[in-house]
Amino acid sequence: MSKARRVRLGIAVGAVAGSLAVSSGATAGLGGKAPSIQLDRAQLGASLHATPQAGRTTYAMALPNGAAVKEFTNATGAVFAVTWSGPGKPDLRALLGSHFQALQAASRVRDPRFRRVPPQVRQSDLVIQTGGHMGYFWGVAYIPSLAPAGFAVADLK
Amino acid sequence: MLRLLIAFAAALMLTACGGGGGSAPTHTGSSGSPSGGGGTTTPAVVNYATVTFDAGPAALANGSPAYTAFNEPYVSVTICAPGSTSNCQTIDHVILDTGSVGLRIISSVINPTLLSALPIERDTGGNSVGECYKYVNSYAFGSVRQADFAIGGEKVANMPFQAIGDTGTFAAVPGTCSSGGGDAITTAYSFGANGIIGVGTTTTDCGYICQQGYDSGAGYYDCPNSGCSTIIARAAASAAPFQQLPNPVAAFATDNNGTILDFPAVAAAGVTTLTGKVYFGIGTQSNNGLGSAKVLPLSTSTSSLGPGFLTATYKGKALTQSFLDSGSNFYYFIDAGLPICTQSGLSVFYCPTAATPLSPTLTATNGATASGAFTLYNPSTTTSGSANVAPGLAVNPTLVTPPLPFQNSFDFGVPFFFGHKVYTAIEGRTAGSVAGPYFAF
Repeated sequence: MSKARRVRLGIAVGAVAGSLAVSSGATAGLGGKAPSIQLDRAQLGASLHATPQAGRTTYAMALPNGAAVKEFTNATGAVFAVTWSGPGKPDLRALLGSHFQALQAASRVRDPRFRRVPPQVRQSDLVIQTGGHMGYFWGVAYIPSLAPAGFAVADLK
Repeated sequence: MLRLLIAFAAALMLTACGGGGGSAPTHTGSSGSPSGGGGTTTPAVVNYATVTFDAGPAALANGSPAYTAFNEPYVSVTICAPGSTSNCQTIDHVILDTGSVGLRIISSVINPTLLSALPIERDTGGNSVGECYKYVNSYAFGSVRQADFAIGGEKVANMPFQAIGDTGTFAAVPGTCSSGGGDAITTAYSFGANGIIGVGTTTTDCGYICQQGYDSGAGYYDCPNSGCSTIIARAAASAAPFQQLPNPVAAFATDNNGTILDFPAVAAAGVTTLTGKVYFGIGTQSNNGLGSAKVLPLSTSTSSLGPGFLTATYKGKALTQSFLDSGSNFYYFIDAGLPICTQSGLSVFYCPTAATPLSPTLTATNGATASGAFTLYNPSTTTSGSANVAPGLAVNPTLVTPPLPFQNSFDFGVPFFFGHKVYTAIEGRTAGSVAGPYFAF
């Protein structure tokens, strides 16, 4: 990680912006393609740094409120994981894209006696884990089938 | 209760008489002092209130499906129209939460005559102010209104609170509120309570993040007649003139440095009701001394970890965002070595085959340590019977194998408070000669 190359993407924003009109109807966030990350960055008002590594790229966003969001793309540019941590909750509707509904379904209280349980999703090809406390929330959403070979979940940190 | 109401009414009359234009009414320490009721000395202010664990407010039994609350510490609070001694309501079944900050009441439980007399905060543009407050699996949206507030003999004039599920301008939840995910809290049935009083470690519910116009999980909104959409900056004052919701304890005139939750131990089989006390203030009166409690300083609002955390070391792993929280109904931690319940309703609970002693260690920010040991019990029996309270029950928040990273937390929920006297001292306040924030027990 310490040897990874960090690239500022500020210049790339303009180039990508031209494609936004085309891609805005496409799948964004988790499961989407790398250009959708620029949509997310704009939506979150965040700064963005990309770190290419073998077989994947980590896009780290710093939000104005101090929170951190990361999106991980594989060699084909597909977003296979998203993580968030820090004050508040980021726009998970944008970050999780079509998978937001799975989080919503998991959030629904099944037994009203046992409410306030952090939602978690355990599907064969979708894993979402969340948690938090006043002033600080965190979560991970991950599509195992899109992850590069040899990827370990510990690398999502 | 009646004598407290009388004391409150008397206090309001005093503050009304002394009212200085626009600023906080003067609180007089001796104004709310009924008889101590058996004690030989009379405290200056009645600095305690009863905490009750029971089946919950009527809305739970009257809803469909009907249900009962579980491990929920409730208090009653009184709110009045500012300056009024008659347009008042005592709200029962308000969750006492050391894990959040601010008073929030389901707006539909407030009688319409009172609700309409509670002024809505205005922003710099003269528009109404709304608030979104996010919990781990839900969110609450509503207006920010002001009321004269009292619990026990303690009171705060013109205190902002959130009226959850308020109507009119506030009926539509902003997209930036719901986009954090989870269910909307709108009714007492969906909340499991008529309200919540957050008495955690910070003086306001958002602090500098909202002061800068951002969202920390609490976010304030500009609400013109067309609805609420823009997040606005609100000042973090714990005394009048308020903007953000204050920690009500921090806003008291006295006894304002923290709380003590004093609940009895609960037998493994559980009980249908439990009664305890919350004391306001630490080391401010004869009944709230720190004594020999072990003090564990916590992270502050400026910490990159977030406020109110200490480290729990569990089975060799240091979990740096751990906390004690009366608003968590259970313990929450990950241990892939413990069996999970197979009953569908209990699918996230640990189901040990026998009572299992566990011994996490707590380490404070100053290196002080304390045992967080407790006994883990199987919930199958206690949750299927008539018990509304049971100790030692725990949830695994991450059944994913292997657990994904980021789970860096051991949540000592309300079962840890059973049989422990737990002190929560507020950031920036000195409590019992020790600087807050800290937990002690």
